[in-house]
Amino acid sequence: MNRFGSVAAFSIVAVLASVARAEVPADAPPVATVDEEAPPPLEEPEGYSPPEGVASTPPLSISGYLDVGFVKAQGDGTSFPAADTRLPADYGVDTFATAVNTRGEVASTDSGGRFVNGFLPRSVDIADRPSFLLNTLNIDLRYQTASSPFMVFSRVQLLPRHFASGNDTRVYVEQAFGRFAPFATRELNISVGKIDSVFGIEYLETQSNIRTGITPSPMARYTTGTSVGAKFFVRQQIAALQSAVSLNVAATNSAPFVESLQPPDASVAGSPNVSARLGYELNLRRFQLKLGGSALTGPRNDQRDRSARQRMLGADARINAFGLSLAGEYVDVKQDPGTEEKQTGLGTFPLASGFLARGYYVFGGYTLSPGWRLLARVTLYGRYGHRHAVFTGFRPVTVASITGGLRLDLGESVILKGEILRNDEIAGAPTVKNDVYTSSLVYSW
Amino acid sequence: MVKPRLGRGRRPWTLSLTLLATMTASTRAQAAAPTGWPGEEMPLPLAVKTPADLALKTEAERQYLIFNLLAGGKVAFDAGDFSKAMKKWEALLRLPELPAAVEKVVRPLLAEAQHGARDVAVLPLSEGIPPGAGAPIGAAKPSPDPVARTVVSGTASGGGELGPGGTVVWLKRADGPTPRPRPGKRRAISQKNKVFIPRVLAVTAGTTVDFRNDDDFFHNVFSLNDGAKFDTGLYQAGTTYSQTFSKPGPVQLLCNIHASMVAYVYVVDSPYYTQAAGNGAFIIKGVPPGEYELSAWHEASANVVRKRVVVRPEGATGVNVAIPADKRSPPFVPDKYGKPRQPNVGY
Repeated sequence: MNRFGSVAAFSIVAVLASVARAEVPADAPPVATVDEEAPPPLEEPEGYSPPEGVASTPPLSISGYLDVGFVKAQGDGTSFPAADTRLPADYGVDTFATAVNTRGEVASTDSGGRFVNGFLPRSVDIADRPSFLLNTLNIDLRYQTASSPFMVFSRVQLLPRHFASGNDTRVYVEQAFGRFAPFATRELNISVGKIDSVFGIEYLETQSNIRTGITPSPMARYTTGTSVGAKFFVRQQIAALQSAVSLNVAATNSAPFVESLQPPDASVAGSPNVSARLGYELNLRRFQLKLGGSALTGPRNDQRDRSARQRMLGADARINAFGLSLAGEYVDVKQDPGTEEKQTGLGTFPLASGFLARGYYVFGGYTLSPGWRLLARVTLYGRYGHRHAVFTGFRPVTVASITGGLRLDLGESVILKGEILRNDEIAGAPTVKNDVYTSSLVYSW
Repeated sequence: MVKPRLGRGRRPWTLSLTLLATMTASTRAQAAAPTGWPGEEMPLPLAVKTPADLALKTEAERQYLIFNLLAGGKVAFDAGDFSKAMKKWEALLRLPELPAAVEKVVRPLLAEAQHGARDVAVLPLSEGIPPGAGAPIGAAKPSPDPVARTVVSGTASGGGELGPGGTVVWLKRADGPTPRPRPGKRRAISQKNKVFIPRVLAVTAGTTVDFRNDDDFFHNVFSLNDGAKFDTGLYQAGTTYSQTFSKPGPVQLLCNIHASMVAYVYVVDSPYYTQAAGNGAFIIKGVPPGEYELSAWHEASANVVRKRVVVRPEGATGVNVAIPADKRSPPFVPDKYGKPRQPNVGY
């Protein structure tokens, strides 16, 4: 008999040592308390803390989510008008194809043989066909003991897709890093590995079980990618102001762009991109304000020549109060022209134009919490996004999108969302039918 | 000298527990402890012919002494003779080289016995509660209560990896109205080393709890539970924030800065309540005889466990409560605005 067995035996003994009293399973509800004040209890418990080491959270935790969607995109799923057969294409890039899921994938990127130069969104290749999509099967592994300053985290995503070449399930290591928090008394940590962005705020909700809505903003393609490198974070609380200031700095192989042409995780130029965000937060009891400014500089992701630079600037703001969430972000991107062929994850492309883009989005959501077991929260949300982009030598394209949706939190683990995106080509491109109706059922564990 | 072996892989003190189990089974069969058992003298004569015999007898007598004090204390405890139980267990704990497991099971019971002895000294059972006796700070003076009161005790088991410790157990009358509980004395929950201490605290409705930051850095305490929403804001080391809890039920406490911190206040609407010790043992004192519904809440359990208990004039002992660890952890820990926090982001 081991120690636990002995203790258990003693517990059993303690129970058996007394004569069992009559006990009847209770079917009736408890009797209500009456307005007759009882005498004080003879003894009031002083509370209980489990022995040290009996942590409620085991060192290894496995969590994740499954995101299944149903989608219908207008037109042919791209943003190329079918009748537009001009060659070379006068807008050079599919800057306004419409996202259909949280990953920012579009229904199609089939350009019909037209020249595509710059950003090439990832595609689910369903064109205009209404379709169910298994958007993401996400598995997170986290290991951290209570006494250790180290934490290891990995996020692996399975992305089953069907292309003309057949079925293909991509296994994508979205994040994998170790984190070191050297001071137990300070909010300071260093992460090394494949890490998320530090630019702006939208990278905080790239996963469908976190994001309020479904699709990302038109600017997310520049700010929300993950990259290999190191990150430093520090936050200092200012109690007198109920505030905190934070600094996030990262050095990574590439900028946090999200597109099919993004090069692999290696550094093409051999010199890192450095990015940072300085943040301020005001945390009052019913009102929260978060402000931030971000910057990035480094060589282009797709050039071996370090003198071909890219830089980004951004500003963001968030407000949470009385169930209302407001957020806005401005991003300005500039890439020098490349001096050689474009080096991408899909091979080389002949032209590496200079690129400029600027845009913003504003988001608003209101959450009601009925407190019901099966319907924990109801959220109505909307977003307006605006983007102006130009590849040197091509006509500038300005687009805007209006997004509206409803989110139902069914208990703590299931989210059902429905969303409509209306897309407008404001300048530089012909009007295209490219609105999207999308939905998402997310189960988290 | 070769020490005599008492069994393959078995530690000597396990004999005490085995003897205790045997004795207990006998006790149960007879419905009462037989007079003189356990006796002061070891009932089995052991002949001594060799040094090995002497060593064996010495060890056996030591084990019997441990058993005698261990079991004798429990018999006295169950009979309500807390003073005698206290003396036996205190003597047991003074023995040199006492096995740690024995000490571990005795200490919580000894604490109960010490409390019981103190209570009995000021408040003999069945004699009512004198005005002011044991009154919590800030509570109104109690009125004389002519009703005989007794003790309900038992064991909670289960609770998953956390174990049954801290289970909140309370009684509500099934055969009549349950008196409204008085607000309890002020309690305190400390934040120390990024942990809430205690982790689980049971209070009666209307009780005020002081939250104290005993770390050298900033903390926060908030709750999103309906009827108990509050937020201390950012508060510095050494400062205190007070919150009164009125709505019965569990209140989850979190820290907006440190996502790993969690604790619970459970607000009961009955004056007959307690919390289980680490080994699951619980005892509710001052309970008038009658028919009750016993309820038990544990953070690992999805629902409150309920069962019917009859409290006789001599009390009710051996009440078992099984705590299922069937509550799913939510995928995210919310911040104080209800937004999910991501452990990988780290801030």
